[in-house]
Amino acid sequence: MKTDSIRRAVRFVGLVLPLTWAPRAVMAQGTATCSSYGVGVTTATVNQLLASAVVSAGELMAQDQAGDVAVPGLVTAQNVFAIANGGGDDGSDAVSSATLGAVNILNGLITADGVVAMATSTVGDANAEGSSLAHLVVNGVDIDDNPAPNTRMDLDGVGYVVFNEQIRTSTGITVNMIHVVLQQNVLGVTRTTGHIRVGSASAKVS
Amino acid sequence: MSKLKLLAGIPATVTVALIGWSCETNRTALAPPAGGPLFHFQQFECTPLKMTGGGRIDYPPGTRDKNPPASHEYETFGAHVIASGQVDENGTCLADKGALEWVDHRPEMEVNGHPLNLHATEVTFAERATDASCSDGAVHWGGKLRVQNTGQENLDFEVWDCDNGEPGRDDGFAISVPEIGYTVQCWEPDYNTPAEPTCYLTGGNRQFHPTH
Repeated sequence: MKTDSIRRAVRFVGLVLPLTWAPRAVMAQGTATCSSYGVGVTTATVNQLLASAVVSAGELMAQDQAGDVAVPGLVTAQNVFAIANGGGDDGSDAVSSATLGAVNILNGLITADGVVAMATSTVGDANAEGSSLAHLVVNGVDIDDNPAPNTRMDLDGVGYVVFNEQIRTSTGITVNMIHVVLQQNVLGVTRTTGHIRVGSASAKVS
Repeated sequence: MSKLKLLAGIPATVTVALIGWSCETNRTALAPPAGGPLFHFQQFECTPLKMTGGGRIDYPPGTRDKNPPASHEYETFGAHVIASGQVDENGTCLADKGALEWVDHRPEMEVNGHPLNLHATEVTFAERATDASCSDGAVHWGGKLRVQNTGQENLDFEVWDCDNGEPGRDDGFAISVPEIGYTVQCWEPDYNTPAEPTCYLTGGNRQFHPTH
């Protein structure tokens, strides 16, 4: 009988009192953010994001689509979708994706039949699995459809391109499946004049 | 400093031990059955839950390996559902809210020259599957959706949703929209699957949150 009373008392102290600490536990939860877009162009005269989805901390999902898009002289793309998914109020996971059909960059200098950018972040892990390029062609030459992360190619007179660009941080990952860096040589100095990103996804959990 | 941390951990250890001692053993509990279930998503309980995330499935053939990218044989999606374990008068386990955005990129599924795009307009039910071999949690949920390409709406849909550990490589997802005869489901032995009828994700993650 005495033992039962002691057990009841311990149960009360051990199980009921911790409930009063809940606000501290809530404060310890993570934050998830993510975003994706189909096409992003930044130059001196153009600043455009086409099909863009952004999930802020505490939110669950955003999506956007742009059908067929064109930034004249720079990029065209078909069937552009962006989807971003957060974990809501406990912020432990984030997944975002951007998908495109046929893509044409700089009047045929770079083409692809399809692009998928996918970024996933959970506590302790971030990856770009699910990302892919279909029938990638640069200057008329077929390129490996599965380029290694951060594969760079120079583009004469234009600048350079990075395929499957993966930028990792302590909280997550950003993947840009095609990132063209526009450059100009002025008086012997190479200057960056713009960026074209096609298929971009980012996911972070902190 | 490390000694201080060690000392700080002692009260916690003692507390756990005392709580364990204070809870009487359930002497009538049965041992779990040996072996895994032969079928999945047959038994459910109505309980508070949340499932979030998104991903990619390469279907067909529904394996973990991606199809060749040029094949365009894949689907991408975002989806979440939240339920608080409430049952209506018909016995349906109600969903509090949810969303589904589904894009099927297969050329043969194009409608009016664009990928098939399904958009949930209402998520009505969500129940936790207790028999699916999904280590972190499995949910069967659904509601109504619209085919964005055609405007056809109020179509019933259901999904089978499997969180099978982190970071998502073993997770699964499946969808059915019976009124238009659309399904992306994987069944053993034809397809490798985490829990029938779900198909392995080839990217992304499903995240089960037991409570919210």
